Amino acid sequence: MRQKKYRGIERKLALWGWGFNIPSLVFFAVFSFAPIIYAIYTSLYDKRVLSLKAPNFVGLKNYIDIFTNKGIGFLDSLKSSAIFSFGAFFPLVIFSLLFSVLVYNNYKASTQRKFEILWYTPAVISSVVATTIWMLIFDPRGLGNQVVNFILNTPGVDHRWTSNPSMLRFVTIMVYFWKYIGYYIVLFITGLGTIPGTLYEAARIDGASRMQCFRRITLPLLKPTVSLVSVLCLIHCLKTFSTQYMFYQSGAPLKPINVISLSIYTTGITNQRIGRACAMSIILFAAMIILSIAQLKLINADDIDY
Amino acid sequence: MSSEIKSPVYKIYKVLITILLILLVLLTVTPLVFMVCASFMTSKQILAIPFTWIPRPFQFKNFYNAVAGTLHTWTFPRNMLNSFIVSGTVTLTTLLLAGMSGYGLSKFRFKGKNFVFITIMSTMMIPFEAIMIPMYMIAQKLNLMNSYRGLIIPYLVSAFGIFQMRQYLLTFPGEFLDAARVDGMGELGIFFKLVMPNSAPVLATLAITTFRSQWDNLLWPLLVTQNAKLKTVPLYITSFSEEKHADEGALMAVALLASLPMLIAFFALSKYFIGGSEVYESRKG
Repeated sequence: MRQKKYRGIERKLALWGWGFNIPSLVFFAVFSFAPIIYAIYTSLYDKRVLSLKAPNFVGLKNYIDIFTNKGIGFLDSLKSSAIFSFGAFFPLVIFSLLFSVLVYNNYKASTQRKFEILWYTPAVISSVVATTIWMLIFDPRGLGNQVVNFILNTPGVDHRWTSNPSMLRFVTIMVYFWKYIGYYIVLFITGLGTIPGTLYEAARIDGASRMQCFRRITLPLLKPTVSLVSVLCLIHCLKTFSTQYMFYQSGAPLKPINVISLSIYTTGITNQRIGRACAMSIILFAAMIILSIAQLKLINADDIDY
Repeated sequence: MSSEIKSPVYKIYKVLITILLILLVLLTVTPLVFMVCASFMTSKQILAIPFTWIPRPFQFKNFYNAVAGTLHTWTFPRNMLNSFIVSGTVTLTTLLLAGMSGYGLSKFRFKGKNFVFITIMSTMMIPFEAIMIPMYMIAQKLNLMNSYRGLIIPYLVSAFGIFQMRQYLLTFPGEFLDAARVDGMGELGIFFKLVMPNSAPVLATLAITTFRSQWDNLLWPLLVTQNAKLKTVPLYITSFSEEKHADEGALMAVALLASLPMLIAFFALSKYFIGGSEVYESRKG
């Protein structure tokens, strides 16, 4: 009798467990899984919104097109995304690691906090505002030219920040670096905080120098944080849209900054080549899956027990 | 350690490091100061060579132009309100639904729990940028275009929010729940009166993350709203900066006004912005 009642409670609780999850599951089914499945399906059709006739099944033609037809410019897009991602990724990870270690090792917690707040502020404002500010700074008559001309002692030179393709790429990376450097520093400082201070004390007593402490204790123990932040940063960079869109809308040349997400937008929404845009989406999705699996592997591989 | 602090080499080292750190502060803060200064300047002064930092004269009219718009359509206040409505609603639904899911996944045992958890987590691999085209078509089918519904519904809950709630609630003492059950409290009562109020720190962090990401959201509102009255702040800024004879001073005033709510929240609640990950770390172990 007692046993039976107990099982009743178990079952009741199991139902509640399901019940609490059903709203979220329904939501993800409609707004995550259905769209991605629909994107895979549509990428196999020659779908154009403006044409009234039913779309033709074309198999993998959309994929073949975007990788072989240079006129579509998807290969340029991949290149732009790669340049942007790695161009932003390396400085972000290297400098945020450097600055977090410097501030963590040399200042007491309250001073650290002040630096963190000042560095983090750009991350608080939106990408749209960030881009607007930098577009004005990099105006031909703007502050950017004046500062650079002052440093290089080249009065009156216009560095064509937004019209020269390489400069434009540099500027978009610069905006991104400026906005997110503080964010990654904060992540690294959190990681540094998990390394027990006793390890450093022990090393000091044994006569280790600062540099030795950094190389033998900090770096190896921070490795899980470094690898996680790296993947997170690459994922962020690969998804960038707002900065490039703003520059494009303000009249900058599209080609150097036509990152994958912007390319999906212009192909699908502006040019109404839905099937082709879906094929591009699936390529982006595949890249995300690879990065996410790497992330999972890193989380599981690098667990440290103190 | 103490002998090292007094050594001159260490002093020089520390000065050099301080200079380096302050250089980064200059890089991060100067453009923001530029925005604030420029919002009070005439366009002529913003683009004058050489640049001067103190507005002369103080052009308060920029803020009038920013709010009224170049064509005096007065859409900015409405767009600001839209941003608050959309971000606020999304934040509330995320807290509720992520709280429910996180609670269900951490404090209940049921068949298929792992499957549910993995299914929800796997949606993190689907970037919005990759599903924008199908979402656009779904929005047209479900009649979500040009409406608050359309701006809000695709963001009702996030997998990351569920993950955060679950991690936090894993350490929530189960005895409290059992005690409440013995006392005859219903399951919904336990969730709303016991679990949610005791999750305040993680809810605050999640609320800030969610509100911010909606406040910044450009891509989806760009797709789903054509009507100027339903646009959100990022779209207002985009259209303002696109106009041919843009007034740079007013543009910076718009940028400042759009950033003020977040900047104020940040300086008041910086511990939840910066310490967000710490809150979750501290309860993880």
